[in-house]
Amino acid sequence: MTMRNLTACLLGTAFAVTAFAPAYAADTDIIIVLNEELESIDPCMASKSNIGRVILQNISETMTELSPTEGLKPRLADSWEDMGDGTWRFHLHPGVTFSDGTTLDAGDVKHSMERVVSTKISCEIGAKYFGGIKVTPTVVDDLTIDLKADPPQPILPLLMSTLTIVPAETPEEFVQNPIGTGPYVLTEWKAGQSIVLDRRDDYWGAEPEVTKATYLFRTDDAVRAAMVKTGEADISPVISELDATDPATDFSYPNSETTYLRIDQGVAPLDDVRVRKALNMAIDRDAFLGTLIPSDAIKATALVPPSTIGWNPDLTPTAYDPEGAKALLAEAKADGVPVDAEITLIGRTGNFPNVTEVMEALQQMLGDVGFNTKLEMYETGEWVDLYSQPFAEDRGPQLIEAMHDNAKGDPVFTMYFKYACDGLQSGMCDEKAEDLIARATAATGDERAALWKELFAYLHDDVVADVLLFHMVGFSRVSERLDFKPTINTNSELQLSQIKFK
Amino acid sequence: MTETTPDVPSAAGQSRFRRLAAMLWADKFALVAMIFLIVVLLCAILGPMLLDNLATRQNLRGRNAPPFDLTRGWAFVLGADALGRPLLARIIVAARNTIMVAAGAVACSLLIGAALGLVAGYSRRGLSQAIMRLADVIMSFPSLLMAVIVLYMLSASVTNLIIVLAITRIPIYLRTTRAEVLELRERMFVQAALVMGASARRIVFRHILPMVLPTLLTIATLDFAFVMLAESSLSFLGIGIQPPEITWGLMVSQGRPYLTHAWWLSFWPGLAIILTTLSLNLLSNWMRVALDPAQRWRLEMGKKND
Amino acid sequence: MKTFIRKRAVASGLSLIGLIVLVFFLSRLTGDPTSLYLPVDASLESREQFREIHGLNDPILVQFFHYARDVLSLDFGDSIRKARPALQVVLEAFSWTLTLAAVTMLLVTVAAIIFGALAASRVGGVFDRIATFFSLIGASAPDFWIAIVAIVFFSVYLGWVPTSGTGTVWHWILPVAVLFIRPFGLILQVVRGSMISSLSSAYVKTARAKGVGPRPIIFVHALRNAMLPVITVIGDQAAGMLNGAVVVETIFGFPGVGKLMIDSILQRDFAVVLASIMVTAMAIFIMNLLIDLSYAVLDPRIRY
Repeated sequence: MTMRNLTACLLGTAFAVTAFAPAYAADTDIIIVLNEELESIDPCMASKSNIGRVILQNISETMTELSPTEGLKPRLADSWEDMGDGTWRFHLHPGVTFSDGTTLDAGDVKHSMERVVSTKISCEIGAKYFGGIKVTPTVVDDLTIDLKADPPQPILPLLMSTLTIVPAETPEEFVQNPIGTGPYVLTEWKAGQSIVLDRRDDYWGAEPEVTKATYLFRTDDAVRAAMVKTGEADISPVISELDATDPATDFSYPNSETTYLRIDQGVAPLDDVRVRKALNMAIDRDAFLGTLIPSDAIKATALVPPSTIGWNPDLTPTAYDPEGAKALLAEAKADGVPVDAEITLIGRTGNFPNVTEVMEALQQMLGDVGFNTKLEMYETGEWVDLYSQPFAEDRGPQLIEAMHDNAKGDPVFTMYFKYACDGLQSGMCDEKAEDLIARATAATGDERAALWKELFAYLHDDVVADVLLFHMVGFSRVSERLDFKPTINTNSELQLSQIKFK
Repeated sequence: MTETTPDVPSAAGQSRFRRLAAMLWADKFALVAMIFLIVVLLCAILGPMLLDNLATRQNLRGRNAPPFDLTRGWAFVLGADALGRPLLARIIVAARNTIMVAAGAVACSLLIGAALGLVAGYSRRGLSQAIMRLADVIMSFPSLLMAVIVLYMLSASVTNLIIVLAITRIPIYLRTTRAEVLELRERMFVQAALVMGASARRIVFRHILPMVLPTLLTIATLDFAFVMLAESSLSFLGIGIQPPEITWGLMVSQGRPYLTHAWWLSFWPGLAIILTTLSLNLLSNWMRVALDPAQRWRLEMGKKND
Repeated sequence: MKTFIRKRAVASGLSLIGLIVLVFFLSRLTGDPTSLYLPVDASLESREQFREIHGLNDPILVQFFHYARDVLSLDFGDSIRKARPALQVVLEAFSWTLTLAAVTMLLVTVAAIIFGALAASRVGGVFDRIATFFSLIGASAPDFWIAIVAIVFFSVYLGWVPTSGTGTVWHWILPVAVLFIRPFGLILQVVRGSMISSLSSAYVKTARAKGVGPRPIIFVHALRNAMLPVITVIGDQAAGMLNGAVVVETIFGFPGVGKLMIDSILQRDFAVVLASIMVTAMAIFIMNLLIDLSYAVLDPRIRY
């Protein structure tokens, strides 16, 4: 008798069954348990993981949608075209209504765009995707809108997959009752405890199968996994790798996060390319896989996951070669590079499972080839200050562990920040890289992909810009009564309409 | 239960030490506790010197090796941690930091708390009021906030860790001491001493302190466990003990994600904490009896009373 | 008595103001929330804009002046993280914490006094040894062990109670049980120790000599005499719980004030930190006042 049967059997006989089983729940109601309470429920914050998992495409929809299998596809906009000069024209789907009954028109899109970059509230979507870009919306007619971006954005349609559309009446302050065009409407929010979404009858698209979704919040990994096991929840989008032991319910998915050590090239000895090569060669990446890092993770050759355009399949991860690393260090030392200087290895506590152990292992591997490192772990607040410009003058050589998320399919969301001279988290400044980033950002189509590809090769093989580690994976537990497989999008959204019943 | 206190056997010819040893021998629990604590102390003093290399050498391919397997050497008898390091060796090496932090924090808070409590209990009005309101403030000040502030203003070090932990634990000693003093002050023997013209200092140190001490020690022994575990949650913020340095508390919390898969990671260091606390408590209970003339008979009469 | 309470209220009010001023300035030393709220890639302009919206660019004294002015009109500011009034956020959480603390401490107090007194009545006896042994283990074991093992056993394996949550009475059983263990061990030990001294005091011997039976001696005469340190330790444990039971809140998904406070400190959500300290501090001050009053009730010789 398996544990599950035993539990079910006991449940059947125990008085407890009536005590806590949800009363009169329909078969098509589901419960989702998230790993953190939602801080806010405003649609303009939907780029945060858990807010996105509740709101994105369930309550609020976007003009376009990025699908892991089909690429960029229409959602609220039926079609779009490049009008030149940085202007894109979007044609909205006719007859779409918000949950408050009003009809979607171009004015709503205009307001949504202006709202996320408003100086009156700090919207995460605005700060994350529209920083440094000025987008001017012009209403052409009820169902047509022009968006002019300065500087021009070849990927503006992709950017529109992040912008949640709200009614034109939405105030420029955080709202507690989000109104959207999506298939679900928020019916209950008990702060700290639960959020309930109910299916709308007047949704413009196909009717989804799930009638009602209740979201609960539990911080502890083991508890979330246990809840799906006992039937208290149907989906836990995030569980620990350690708990993911049942192939019938537990799935791994690429979570679009990439871990790496940022090399601060401004300080010796890290300004020497031989030293940076030695750092890479000192690390036995294979030893991590299946031990401290899940075996499904992929050794990285770029800071963006393989599903991104321009990702370069010709690059190979640096092989583990401690002798080669020692030789390079000796060579650098002979040229007067201060290879014995103490390098601070900085980690962020709780950044990903096992982060402390990974850092300890990295420290030992670096020590084995002759690096002198000191490990320091910091809480997020202090870590962010160390990770971002401006850097302290007297910082000494630093390697900073970070995990970067790019699920948007285009390297532009990564490369400028991490590798340009003025990039906020960039530890390098290189003329050729600078030029490639600028050209690729402005290019379109195949040329764009080719330029990104060239940049990845240059950074990985010639500059040796950082110590790339792994493209990470996440684990979800899904009840056996549901037909749902997590994808790379599960890190940022959880579309109820994609959940079917067996 | 005996109704009268039997005569204390004559101590003539016995040195004080031998008498204590005999009383320790009479209480087997206390004896075992004493031996355990001596072993812990030896580990704390000698461990890092002898076993440091063994305890820090990682082996990812041998991670989470299960306990009771002697094929890999005695150090692995309790299993290996998430980086394949032998748990037994690590527990021994970690004893030094653990004992330093716990003893430092408990001793500081006990001393400061008891001193302030004596003053607050014995003096009237103004000063007493001020001390008690200070205790209120400390009780309401979240220790985590204090830790984050210290982290930002000062560097992370064992001393700062002890300071943070000590400050947060002061109120319990302070308030307990004061409560006892308030009551003792009114007791017959204190009033008698007062009438006989004893100085305030003599009354506090000769008459009141010995009566308060047992309760404080009971709390202090249990606080040992609390401080050992609290310390690890501060390590998480980057204050105090940091990997690759190690304490029992840190080992317990690092083993937390593995609790349902590799229980030994957090179980053994947790057991070390429990046993240390248990031993300290048994020993303090024994001391309370052994040092109290009115109760010493319990030990010296041996088994007759059970 | 009335003068005592009035004086005490004034002194406590002053401490509260001192505490808030202290926390206000010290917490600002721990850095700026901007980089914690905005995505790491946020531009310098959006950072600047964020600081402007939340008044973080003003000199700290100006910020304090604004805060003090708002507090006087009972406006405790908005949580940056939750974009809701900080006091509302805190009170919602505190009501859970208060209920949890009250239920647990009531059970702990009754159980620890009964078991502690019985253990002390026969020092070194079987009951004493067993009670001491288990209470010490409970008090020194890491609480998350007990919580996780309890969930795995009682919820997943036996299916008797739900794993976590707050819906029904059944949901409260595990959190209260886990929270019960540590204070129970500590208070039991203090009751036991205090009772041992009390039972050998002249006071109890007199009662015994007068022919009072063993039960009244233990539960009336000796216990009353031993209660002062016990009540103090109960107060300390209750104060700890009013500051939030972080492990229990985290594991069982209890929306209490402990996790709220930790998250707010780590996220530099100063308005919530201040509001929660204000609420918990008031509760702790009132509790300490009640404890001091109970000293006088238990021991009429103590006067204020």
